[in-house]
Amino acid sequence: MEANPIVLDDTAGDVVVVVVEGEHDIYTAPTLRERLEEALDRGGGIVVDLTAATFVDSSVLGALLDARRRALEASQGFVVCVGDTVEPGVQRILDITGLVPVLPVVRKRDDAIEAARTNGAGE
Amino acid sequence: MTGGPEVLLIMPARPEGVGVVRQALAGMADALDFEASVLADMKMAVTEACTNVVVHAYDSDSGMLEIEMRASEAGLTIVVRDHGSGIQPRPARSEPPALGLGLPLIAALSDAFELRGSAGSGTEVRMTFAYTRDNDPAEANPVTGRVGIDGRWDPEAPSQGAPAGG
Repeated sequence: MEANPIVLDDTAGDVVVVVVEGEHDIYTAPTLRERLEEALDRGGGIVVDLTAATFVDSSVLGALLDARRRALEASQGFVVCVGDTVEPGVQRILDITGLVPVLPVVRKRDDAIEAARTNGAGE
Repeated sequence: MTGGPEVLLIMPARPEGVGVVRQALAGMADALDFEASVLADMKMAVTEACTNVVVHAYDSDSGMLEIEMRASEAGLTIVVRDHGSGIQPRPARSEPPALGLGLPLIAALSDAFELRGSAGSGTEVRMTFAYTRDNDPAEANPVTGRVGIDGRWDPEAPSQGAPAGG
């Protein structure tokens, strides 16, 4: 039904994965913010999985950066993953804004989950 | 001279319209011979320009967003126009406010870029994209700055790389 879904995946236990698929911009950014809020409320680490995302704009980056800031304040791990073959509509904005090391962004979901778990544990 | 395809879109300046503009652009680019990387940059830049209109141009949902696309030998020129409050943007209508990265991204992604407007007569962003590129425009016009503590983009701050503070 939903063309550009954003769903929470709880299967990693103490790390919630926010799975973002399709195209996302100012229209879907409020939904992304809601999902990120739900993920933050769980209290554990957070991974945002953009592997199946085909396009994200600065509205999405704004939502991710806000969530990251809140996660850091609450000592919750926060990591973004993009998969091995990243869509140009996702990679380009991350590259030219220099946000890869900041968010941070990694390739594989498993690595992201591990990193989010470690950060959240406070070392 | 002209002779290439031309498209004019006029629609309410609302968030749901921005994706429609991207679809129209992709359709038009299909008819032209663009490199995939240039098409990706066009979609991003046009999205940011339309988002600026949706967020800043009007104080209600009643304003219109206009997009003009015109192909020429040099490439595709895309004009995104509003008839809102002018070049000095209104405070963002979105909550929370926008990141403030739109214009720096447009400058970095387009091969040529012009911003026109005056108080009370609306704003026009004019972008041109070449079919193929010898150089990446993001190298000539890099996005400078980083996210500030307030969550907005601070173009004056040292570039990303160092911890983003806060």
